[in-house]
This record gives sequence, structure tokens and C-alpha cells, in this order.
Amino acid sequence: MELHHSNAEWKNGSAELLVLSLVEYQTRHGYDISRLIEIRSAGTLRFHAASLYPLLHRLEERGWIQEHWVERPNERRRRYYRLTAEGKMVMARQRQGWEAFVDAIGRVTGVEHA
Amino acid sequence: MQSAGSRVLNMPDWDAKIREQLAPLGLDPSREAEIVEELAQHLDDSYRTLLREGLTPEEARQAALLELERKAPGDLRFPSTGLAALSFPPTSPSQGWALGAGRVVIDLWRDLRFAVRSLKKQPGFTVLAVLTLSLGIGATTVGFGVVENLLFEAYPYKGANRMVLFAFHNLKAPRNERRVGRLSIADFLEYQKNNHVFDGMVGWYSGWIVYTGQGGSEDFRGAYVTPNTFEFLGVPALLGRGITLDDGKPGAPPVFVMNYRLWQERFGGDTAILGKVFILDDQPRTLVGIMPPRFQMYGARIWLPLTLTSSGAMSAGNRITGWLFVLGRLKPKVSMRSAAADLDVIARQLSKVYVEDYPAEFAVVMGQLNDAVLGNFKATLYALMAAVSMLLLIACSNVANLLLARATMRDREMAIRSSIGASPGRLVRQLLVESFVLAGAGLAGGCFLAYWGLKAVVATIPPDPIPESAVIGLNPAVLWLSVGVALVTTLLCGLAPALHALRGDLPGRLAASGRSSADASGKRKLRAGLVVAEVAISLVLLTGAGLMVRTLLSLTRVSLGLDPSTILFAQLSTRNVNYDKVEQQKAFFRQLLERVRAMPAVNSVAVSSSAPLITTDGSSEIQIPGKEHEQKWESHLEFCSEDYFRTVGLKMIRGRALQVSDIDSARQVAVVNQALAKLYFGDDDPVGRRIRFTLLNHEARRITDFEIVGVVSDFKNQGVRNATEPQTFLPYTISTIGTRFVLVNTALDPPEDLRPALRRAIGAVDPGMPMGISGSIGDWLRATSYKAPRFGVVVLGAFAGIGLALAIVGIFSLMAYTVSLQTHEVGIRMALGAERGDILRMVVSNGLRLIVAGVVAGLFLSLILTRFLSSQLWGVSANDSWTYIAVVTISVAAGVAACILPARRATEVDPLIAIRCE
Repeated sequence: MELHHSNAEWKNGSAELLVLSLVEYQTRHGYDISRLIEIRSAGTLRFHAASLYPLLHRLEERGWIQEHWVERPNERRRRYYRLTAEGKMVMARQRQGWEAFVDAIGRVTGVEHA
Repeated sequence: MQSAGSRVLNMPDWDAKIREQLAPLGLDPSREAEIVEELAQHLDDSYRTLLREGLTPEEARQAALLELERKAPGDLRFPSTGLAALSFPPTSPSQGWALGAGRVVIDLWRDLRFAVRSLKKQPGFTVLAVLTLSLGIGATTVGFGVVENLLFEAYPYKGANRMVLFAFHNLKAPRNERRVGRLSIADFLEYQKNNHVFDGMVGWYSGWIVYTGQGGSEDFRGAYVTPNTFEFLGVPALLGRGITLDDGKPGAPPVFVMNYRLWQERFGGDTAILGKVFILDDQPRTLVGIMPPRFQMYGARIWLPLTLTSSGAMSAGNRITGWLFVLGRLKPKVSMRSAAADLDVIARQLSKVYVEDYPAEFAVVMGQLNDAVLGNFKATLYALMAAVSMLLLIACSNVANLLLARATMRDREMAIRSSIGASPGRLVRQLLVESFVLAGAGLAGGCFLAYWGLKAVVATIPPDPIPESAVIGLNPAVLWLSVGVALVTTLLCGLAPALHALRGDLPGRLAASGRSSADASGKRKLRAGLVVAEVAISLVLLTGAGLMVRTLLSLTRVSLGLDPSTILFAQLSTRNVNYDKVEQQKAFFRQLLERVRAMPAVNSVAVSSSAPLITTDGSSEIQIPGKEHEQKWESHLEFCSEDYFRTVGLKMIRGRALQVSDIDSARQVAVVNQALAKLYFGDDDPVGRRIRFTLLNHEARRITDFEIVGVVSDFKNQGVRNATEPQTFLPYTISTIGTRFVLVNTALDPPEDLRPALRRAIGAVDPGMPMGISGSIGDWLRATSYKAPRFGVVVLGAFAGIGLALAIVGIFSLMAYTVSLQTHEVGIRMALGAERGDILRMVVSNGLRLIVAGVVAGLFLSLILTRFLSSQLWGVSANDSWTYIAVVTISVAAGVAACILPARRATEVDPLIAIRCE
């Protein structure tokens, strides 16, 4: 697997990986996804709604995630997302590539896993 | 118009702004409505978060609206890394796999270190959990190991679990005389040939065999066996060979085989004796084999081959016996019931041919070899198994309790770790590793306890009912079973926090305190239930132990009728041509008694035909002229010398004891015991009356009537547990029937110290007279009658003690936890004027509720389960109220003690701090 990526491509690919991994084990809604990205990255990464929801729509069109509405009293409806079987395979490939990249950097720079 | 969501919490209305952003896209109205709803919800969430962070409503609104700003397609704020120029070599599948495997190992090692650090931070929890697991695993290993070895692995013989003894029951005989356990030689050969249920059948006859060596004579316990025996048992000899079919052929050279213990203890393990000739029962025989340590068939020290002929079972040309005890091995899948039916058919046919060998009405009965040996002790083993299972239950519920408490405390930790990136799989793996660390430490502790516990149990086990061949040791299969149970419990309860972390609302769990959630309340109820169960089960164990203590006390307090601590006994072998006449025995014993009387520290000495409380002599049907009766009257017979009553410590109640002249002239006089006098004479005075013994009427002399000259006090002539039976004391010079013992009443303590001098005295009178089994009656009693209940007391007591300790730990940990939850409440109460005593009472009464529930449940269980212990009890019933009172008192007192410390801590709360605390 060749890893030739432009900066934008890395960002797009990594954004997809981030979203797919967050819905791997648990269904989540859009705000939860964006908030988790921000918290887990300690503020380094931030996903605005204007960027997030189009991405979610794209992933849904590709069949990698699936959505459903949940109604609660005295609240708006919320749309929740979960990973599909195909999305799982895609995520595994993307994750493997990303891990190989991180390992390579680590071997060169001698950076230890925190 | 405000949307539904914004109306409820006075949220800004985002819809217009969102539609404004979407307008250029020209979306389908329904699609647009969905997007508006979703984005509006997102902004609501964002707005709430910003308000919580301290922004004013207007600032929060403005900041939330920034979410709608589109910086660039797929905008993601990412630090610039200059990555575009980099390219990377492709990762092959094997490289990918190796990378993955390496990562797993590194992660596992990291998890292990984290687990150890985490457990070290809570030393109290860790020590308790490991100790509990160790106790549970250790006790279970010991208990199941003993049971498994004795019930299933007691014998090293081929197919031992299928070996059965068979006998007949004479259906017309009294219940305790029904068993006819031997076959004539002809019958044995017929059964061997015609049965369809055994894949092998052997016979034997046991007895004492006199070995004459250079140092004198000795008695060895021997067994004459059919020549197919060693092949049947399937155990190869340690040295030389076993008995073969050729050894049973007529005219075969006389041989014998020796057991390992005799070879080691008597012959020093000398291999040179193999092939040597020994004189056994005045016959030269060649030693052809030494058997391995666990080979103890028939309890014999030597085995000799039989040749089966029509005139009986022969050995070295001598007729040994006309009948044999029989052992068969069932073919696989043949049940005992079907085997009994098959043998019954043969028996019916043979009973028509060999009429005198069969009772008029009979039934074939079969019993497993192990049942016959273990007897009543099997019930003790089952009780031990039940006790072990209960202890394991207590240990597992205690561990579950501790882990559940920890799970509640770690709820928030799991939520935080989940929020910063730990996947559920990661959390589960971390917790599994922690559980393995705990289980591993518990296993190490359990092995240590099992090793020492097994040694202690083996030292306590009564020797009598245990097959000599049984070896009780650490059983790996049982150890792994115990580990498996403890591990499953540890894993299940250790996973509770991870399972909880997989569900629920993240922000809610992050904000919530782990102690106040509804789920924590559920866990508290489960913990309380476990504590109640522990108290109940430990009460059952305590009850069992208490009943065994009462049994032992009853047994040791029984009036035996004599003082066993001062009497030494020694069996002498008079079964040879030198002593088959009364005059020969009289001459020998006169000299011997004179010598022994002259020894220092000897109070008195006597001859007898049994050792009181240890062996019983024969009995005879009796007739009392002038007293008609329909039922059979019987009496045990004791052939003794004139000093018997003084030596044993019995008192004359009426008339006189036997005198020297009675013995010397073999006068036909008798002394009866009180039991006989009461049973057959009632209020009449038996002195001066006549009595006849059917057994003696068969003698060549046709001895008829005896005159009763005295009545002597009773002693427990049928053993400690059984009632005294009628007994008659006759001069030993009347007949050579029966065994001969020397009884010495000595001031030496212990009486065994007199043994060497006694042996010398015997040797001085007749160097060829072997001294057989000997010892002090007191010691023998301790090793036989008292040892089994003592074993029950020690084992059940130990398990009950451990169970109670674990239950106290469970109560203590639950109370401590509950008190910590009630800090706020306690602070308020104290601030409102509650005294320390009030707080103490509040905490203790909470604990007492659980203890009482446990005690009630335990009492109910005990009433049901202790009846299975009935066969082990003596002098006390399974529902003995004093035992139950004592056990309830101990349980309640222990439980209250476990509540005191947490209660005192609760009273030390500073109300001001407690009120602020949440």
C-alpha cells in the first residue's frame, strides 16, 4: 500500500478515520463526535459543524456508516450514526496505514509511545 | 417562531441562520428540514457547553454560530506537518502482522505493570482479595483432594472402581447376623466358570502366619490367595515377581511374596533376601517378590498361593481352608444389580447341589470394595465435600463483594478513560489483566496453603477406615478446578466496571459521582445479598462443626466401665502344635504370669481371649435351665484367668470372682456381667444358677452346665458407641478355643513402656512364642473410636472458622463502604444534635439487619442439611438446640464485632466537613 498523500488528502483521510473509529463500538450523534475529537486531542483537533456534517453525509452515501433518528421528550430529535460492515473494513485498512506511518516516524525519530 | 427545542430551555433560535447557510445548496425541503433539525441540535449542545464554561448567553450564541462558518471543504484544524512530500514504503501483510503482534505484547506488558501499580495503591483490597482467593483455592484443593483420593483413587489395582465383594444374606437370620460372606471351594470354582458378569474373580483367606527366624518367632498378617490374584490386580512387583498360575499347581515349589512396608521395616529394605528361604508356619518357602508401596491387598504383609482341590484350598501340601472370601471385577457397563441377578441364578442351581452351603432362604448381595473398606467414613467424606463447596462459595462471594465495591468506585475512572481514547476492548483487556494478577496471586497462596493443609489433614485422618493403599497428595486436577472457579468469579466481577463503561451517556457519567448513581445502588443491594449468603453458609458450617464437637465430647465422656489408660495388651500366638492342648497353655501362662507379676510397676496381670474395648471374642447361644424362651439367647464368652477382673478394673457386684483353683482344675464355673443378669434373670439372683453354652457342647469333651458364681460390673464390651451386651467369663483352661492375650495393669505411663520387658518375659518362657499386636488400650481407643469424630471436628471446625472469618470480612467491607456513602447524612444528623451513640446504633443496626437475615437463612439451611450428618453423630441429635444457640450467638457476636470499627469511624466524622462533602 503506497502512502503518497498531500496534506489535504491526509487531513481528509484522517478525518474519515477519526469519525469511523468513534462510531466503531458505539452509536453517536454529530455533536458527540465533534466534542470527543476535541477532548481526546486535547484541543489540537477541532471539527466544526459546517465540516463535520457534510463528511457524515459523504460517509453515509458510501455506505460506511448508517444513521437513525432518536426522539426524546422535550428535545429535538437527534440523528445517531453507527459503523457498517463495509465501513469496518475500510476503517481497518485506514488504521493499518496510519499505524504504519506512526511506527515509521517513531523508528526514525526514536519517539516512544506516550 | 421559536423551534420546540429552543422554547423549552430558552435557547436561541438557530433555524433561520442555518437555512441561510443552506440556501445556496438548493436542497429538497424535507432534506433541508432534516439538516436544519440536526444542526440546530448541534448548536444547542454547543451553546449549553459554552454557557457551562462561563460565557454570557450572548457570547455563547456568537461562539456557537461560528460552527456554521465554512472555512474550507472538509476543514479540520490540523497542525501543519509538511507531510505532503513524504512517501512511505508499502507495508507487507507479514510486516503488518508482526507490527500488530509486537504491539499486543507491549500493550500486555504495559497493562500488567499498570495492574500491579493499581493494585498496590489499594493494599487493603488487594490483600483481602488475594487472601480470600488463597483460602478458597487452598481449602478446596485439600478437601476435594482428600475425597477424590479416598473415594476414587484409593487403590492402584486394575479396574479398582469395578471391584465388588459378594455375599449372601440369610433372610431368616437376625438382621445383624445375616451376612454369609464366604464360599466353599467347589462353589467358588462354579461361580468362576459360569458367571457372565465378571472379567475376573479371585478368592482369599486371611490369617496370622508365624515366621520363625534366628531372633525368634513373629506373627505376620498373611493372605492365602488364588493363583490368578496378582494377574487380576495388575500391579507388577517392585522386585522379583508376583504369584503366578504356576505357583498354584499341585506340587509347585512353595513360594511367597512380601509387602513393601514389611520389607523396609523388618528387613531393612535388603534386596539380598529375594530368593531366600523363610520358615513360615513351620514350612520353608522361597521369597519370590517384593510388591510396591501402594500394594496392600487384604491388609496382608505376605501373600501365599493356594492350590484349589476338591478337598479344600491347599498350600505347600497343607489344607488351609475349606472356604474363601471372594472378590470380582465387573465387566465394563455391567451394573451391580444385573450382576447380582446373574449370580443369583447360579446360586439357586448350586443350592440344590451343595445344600449345606446355603441358607434355606437367601439373597445375593454385592458391595463395592471401597464401600466395604470405608464403611461409615464415606459419610464423613461426603460431609467434607459439602463443607469444602460451602467454603468455596463463601470465598467466591467475598471476592465478588470486594470487586463490586471496587467497580463502583471505578465507574468515573472508566468513563474518563473512555472519554480520552480508551476503546472498550482496551478497558476490558486492562481489567482482565488485573483479574489475572489477582487470580495468579491467589493461586500461589492457595498452593502454599494446600500443601500444608494436606499434611495437617493426613495427620488427622483416622487410620482404620482408610485403605492402606490410599495416597493423599496434591491433586493437580482438583487444584485447577478450584482455580477455574475462583478465576471465573474474579473475571466476572472484575469486568463489571468495563461493561458499565460501554453504555450510557458520556457527559452524564463524567459529571456524575460514581457513588450516587442508580447503578451503584443496585450494586449495593447485590453486595448486601452476598453478605447475607455468606453469613448463612458460615452458620451451616459452624453448626456442623458444633455437632461434631458435641459428638466427640459425648464419646470421650462415656463411662467405659474401666480405666483404659493403665492397661497394656499383647496378643500371643497359641495356634500351633505346642499349644493346642489346655495343659500346654496352662503351663506356659503360669510361668509367664509369675514373671510379669514380679516386674516393677506391674499392678496385676491376666490371660484373656480378647483385649477389652478393642477386640471381641466369640459368642455362643446359651440355655438357662428353668427359664423357657422362644427367642435365641446369646452371650459373649471371655476365657480368662483369675486376675482378669482386677487387671481390667471391674467390680464384683454379687458372689465371687474366678479363683486360682477354678483355673487350675478347669472347674465349670462362670461369672456373668450385669447386662446378662438383668436381661435373662431380671430381679432373680443368678448366683448359684446353671448356664449352658451351645459352642462348648460341640467340643470333644461335651462340656455341659456351668455354675454361675458371681456377677461383675459392666464395661463397654462392644465398643464405645454400642450398648453393653451379655457376657460370661469362664476359666481359660476350659478350652483352647479363641485367641490368647496377656493384659497387664501397670503404673507406667505410657503403658507401652512395659512392652520390651514383656517381650523378654515371653521369650524367657518360650523363645518360639511370637508377640503379636500390642499396645495400650487408651492409645488404641484414641486411634480408633475417637479419631473419626476428632477428624470431623478438626476439619469442619477449620472450615467453619475460615468461613466465619471470611463472612466477617464481607460484613466489615460492606459496612465500611456504606458508612463512607453516609458521611453526608451522618454529618447532617450530628449537626442537628445526634449523639455518637445514636450514630453507632444507626450503623450497627444496619449491619444487624443483614446478619439477622443471614442467621435466619442459615438456620433454615442447617435444619435441612445437618440431617445428612446424622450417621456421624453420637449422643447428640442433628437438631440439638444447645448447638444452635451457641452457633447463633457466635455468628451474631462476630457480625456485630465486624460492624463496630466502621461504626466508630462514622462517629468520628466532622459534621462541617461532612456537610460540605458530596
